[in-house]
Amino acid sequence: MLKTRELDKKFGAVHVTRQVSLKLERGERRVILGPNGAGKTTLFNQLVGELTPDSGSVHLAGEDVTSLTVAQRARRGLSRSYQKNTLFDGLTVEENLGLAAAVHTGHATRLWGDSLARPEVREIVQEVAEQVNLMPFIHAKVSEISYGVRRQLEVGVALATRPLVLLMDEPTSGVGPEMSKAFHDLLNNLPRDLTMLIIEHDMDLAFDVADTITVLNYGEVVFDGAPNEARGSSLLREIYLGSWEDA
Amino acid sequence: MFRHTTLRYATLALLLAGALFQALTAGYFGLEILTEILILAMLVLALDIVAGFGGMVSLCHGALMGVGAYAFTILSTSAGIAPPIAMGGAVALSGAIAWIIGAICSRSHGIYFIMATLAFGQMAYSYVFEAPIFGGDDGLSGIRRLDLSLIGLNLNDSRTFALFCLVLLGAVYGAAVLILRSGLGRSFSGVMHNEQRMRALGLTVWRVKADVFGLSGMIAGLAGTLAAQHIMYISPGLLTWTVSGEALVVVILGGLGTLVGPLVGAAAFVVLKHEISGITPYWHLAVGLILIGVVMSRSNGIFGWIEKRWGARLDRRLADATRSQDQKEVTTDA
Repeated sequence: MLKTRELDKKFGAVHVTRQVSLKLERGERRVILGPNGAGKTTLFNQLVGELTPDSGSVHLAGEDVTSLTVAQRARRGLSRSYQKNTLFDGLTVEENLGLAAAVHTGHATRLWGDSLARPEVREIVQEVAEQVNLMPFIHAKVSEISYGVRRQLEVGVALATRPLVLLMDEPTSGVGPEMSKAFHDLLNNLPRDLTMLIIEHDMDLAFDVADTITVLNYGEVVFDGAPNEARGSSLLREIYLGSWEDA
Repeated sequence: MFRHTTLRYATLALLLAGALFQALTAGYFGLEILTEILILAMLVLALDIVAGFGGMVSLCHGALMGVGAYAFTILSTSAGIAPPIAMGGAVALSGAIAWIIGAICSRSHGIYFIMATLAFGQMAYSYVFEAPIFGGDDGLSGIRRLDLSLIGLNLNDSRTFALFCLVLLGAVYGAAVLILRSGLGRSFSGVMHNEQRMRALGLTVWRVKADVFGLSGMIAGLAGTLAAQHIMYISPGLLTWTVSGEALVVVILGGLGTLVGPLVGAAAFVVLKHEISGITPYWHLAVGLILIGVVMSRSNGIFGWIEKRWGARLDRRLADATRSQDQKEVTTDA
């Protein structure tokens, strides 16, 4: 479903992504681990088109999308959530989800009629709000909901475009342990045919959700395998300086 | 996103009542002032759509109004085209030029966007000033108003023309609300809130900006055709950047991103201008001081200040009244 071939990116003398090749099958849930500065977000930005790789290619559902813009990739089914909330702050939860759903259904550029009143848009909003447990807050403005609920909405907005592949950049970043547990359930309850690539520091979540784990270090893939193999890897233990056993 | 509130409806009703009263009772001078307010209100509505709901602070809307005025004049005089068709052609041309400007400038933001639109506006002004077809500094005259004698209206009568402008302003306001509530309008507001996210959702951002800027340009062009018919004479001064600057002052004075505020601003600005200029030729100083006061008050213009002070209170009172009415009905039913 999503494939990269030898993605390479340098910022001046800093080599941030080194020949990264990944292959995600349909429905696969892969977690990317790595210390700060390992190049995880830079890799995401190249996947969605916010950064252009120096060399290598990105393929989505068999199509080479390397030269496509962010919006073109999104319309082909590549959606992302951000590490820092990137929401429409003055709007309600419903309007946030509705904007995304309207883009997906093609109502976002129409001059006639309210896009949020369209039955197909309303249907997506309702379904996603239920998937990410946002129904109790549906009419609340973003500024009125808690940080944890905003993280749910961040994922919800990405989901409302009905993606083939969902990229999530630290979905549990900044949330407490209780909320983090709720996120495990939320991610586990998403449709099984949705392909997910998740950057995460929360080891519990990584081992709970992932089918596959990829570890980046200094922009290079140093591990690619099943979660139980990752647990026993001495290389990873070295990278994370023992934090592994705590997980 | 645009929402009508009780206060906004009430203000609209008040403005409409005031305009109708003025249109039906005022003498020649009063009708001229009213028409000036209505045409300015149309221009500032156009500007509020892009600046208030999309963050596109344009300094070329005066030029777009000038394009409408010149296109209408040339089409209806030199080209001999019937004025209603000339009006339609002028509005379409203003919209097309605005769309191109919007498409080119859509990738710039903030001060760079302002400067780019200023450059386009000044280019239009220079061209109109220099090209012989536009009459240079002398401008063009011999402009005729629309002939609506078929429906029994004589637009050469000041009162009828003012009422005609009022009807068109009402239609433009309705169109602006429809635009802002449409899928395109909502996406446009989404882009102002978070352009990066809208792009990541799959929206072609430049196209949305250009489309709305084009629609706004059509409204500015329509204001231009009315300005030409009002004065029956046009000059390059209509396209100078100060016209755009004045429109921006009116939008800020009234309340950016409220649609109703700029209408209040237009009325306040024109009335102040005429009242103070009767006392002193330095009326700009007074308007400047008022603008500084409005900006320093950290309210969103005159209407923003009113909304902050009374808007929430009014909505709460109405909600309480509805609740107690409902309770009364329940008790009576029981």
